[in-house]
Amino acid sequence: MRKTAVVKIVSALAFAASAVTLASGPALADPPAGTTPAATAIVGVGSDTIEAVFNQYSADYTGTPKLYSWDATGTSPITTKTGATSITRPNGSSAGITALNGTTDTTIDFARSSRGLASTDPANDYFIPFAKDAVSWAADATGDAPANLTTADLKAIYGTCTITKWSQITDIPGYTGSTNTIQAYLPQTSSGTRSFFLGAIGVTTPGACVETTTVEENEGSNTLLQTADALVPYSVAHYIGQVYGGHGSGTDVQGPLTVRSIDGIAPINTTTDVINASFATSAYGRNVYDVVRGTDWNAGNAHATALKALFSNTGWLCTNATAKADTASYGFLALASCGLVQHN
Amino acid sequence: MHRSKLIAFAAATSALLAVGLGGNAHAATPASGTAVISESNTFLQQAALSGIVAVPLPSATAAYSSSTGLSATFPVTGGTASLTVLYGSIQLGGSLLLVDAGTGRAVTFGQLAFDVDTFQITGVPQGSTTPVALLDPAGDLSVVPSGAVQTFQASDLDVDPAGAQYLDAQLRTGFFSGGQSVGSLTVNFTPAS
Repeated sequence: MRKTAVVKIVSALAFAASAVTLASGPALADPPAGTTPAATAIVGVGSDTIEAVFNQYSADYTGTPKLYSWDATGTSPITTKTGATSITRPNGSSAGITALNGTTDTTIDFARSSRGLASTDPANDYFIPFAKDAVSWAADATGDAPANLTTADLKAIYGTCTITKWSQITDIPGYTGSTNTIQAYLPQTSSGTRSFFLGAIGVTTPGACVETTTVEENEGSNTLLQTADALVPYSVAHYIGQVYGGHGSGTDVQGPLTVRSIDGIAPINTTTDVINASFATSAYGRNVYDVVRGTDWNAGNAHATALKALFSNTGWLCTNATAKADTASYGFLALASCGLVQHN
Repeated sequence: MHRSKLIAFAAATSALLAVGLGGNAHAATPASGTAVISESNTFLQQAALSGIVAVPLPSATAAYSSSTGLSATFPVTGGTASLTVLYGSIQLGGSLLLVDAGTGRAVTFGQLAFDVDTFQITGVPQGSTTPVALLDPAGDLSVVPSGAVQTFQASDLDVDPAGAQYLDAQLRTGFFSGGQSVGSLTVNFTPAS
């Protein structure tokens, strides 16, 4: 890597570390109780991984129209804003994108997504990255799992089922696993974290050995995961936000889980409490996105102006100091190409 | 010299140099494509009035249109990058010569690259090993994949503050400034397969 890139990354990490304590305003799940967003408000649904940071953005954005974000979980159906059609609450990136595509701006303005553009996405879906995350795996701190797994191990656990017991892991130096059966969990099927993790480990369809019960992602509070033999994919940024940013609450906490290494690369730089740069640039690094309708983005009207004021490369998320501090405080890394539009 | 003559001189010089020095076939590479910098007429006029000429050298090529201005096309020669996942660096062939006719000083940048991680076009000055950030994509930014080809477009291309400082120092001019609009950028990139 060239020196300029290294300097920028180091600077970004230093900024991220210094910003961890900056975001402290109240970030409420969903629009505040008793508040129905105005018809002109910019309203989003979808990803669990980036819902917390979007709640913080919603609290801190002072522009007009206001920004609102509906969590992935909670009561359902929801009426997202004044005059909107009531919809089933979208739980996950793909569910949010599907809801975006099935409605108009009278109901949803954007989808939160922790997965990138797929070749099957409609040309009208504009994916706009705003930060960088990474996905690793997590397990109970006192359980049987090793501190590190290789990509081959994870593929054998989640895909081919050639590893179903910890004792069958033989490529981790110094580790002798128990003969207990591994309980491999995945997030819900519309989760961007799930699809990204499976893609990163080279699995198209999870193996029959994978637990059929899915879990809400990034929630160590789930008792299914609080066993000696469970493991689950986990957003590294979300974990940092929970553990170091102090943003965990309710079920959205890490509990006894700790995120572990893959291929010998630690996901977190525990000196700076940010995503390890070498992990972020590995196959397990990913971007996180706002997804808007291309027709809305290019409409040339007040709604388009409002979307761009938030999400474009010169918009609030990419340039505002408070927004940048929020992004860092919730564990995400700054993205130099923030606000770029990707579409088919 | 009259402004229009300066503009014509700059364009003609670029084209002649490109034709005279061009034609080198570059070796087969795992990645392919082009990066096209379209210099706006506004910048071209400002540069010409200040005696600044930017010339793409082989294996880059130059072209001029009265409607769209001067364009420089740099071939992709390698790199491990993705414009959809947004990582890595795209290596570009050719080099970029900048001349200040007033001071008689010049600087040539080789090892040109589009660094996707830092979102900058960088170049290594002749006689140096340290890359300098030269240009930053700005304005409306988009990536459209089509099959294996990833097309990136930036409606604006600005001089990087570090590049401006370096160029002003090397050319002994005060012409360059960070954020100064140069034109636009289009990159067609096919990753190694």
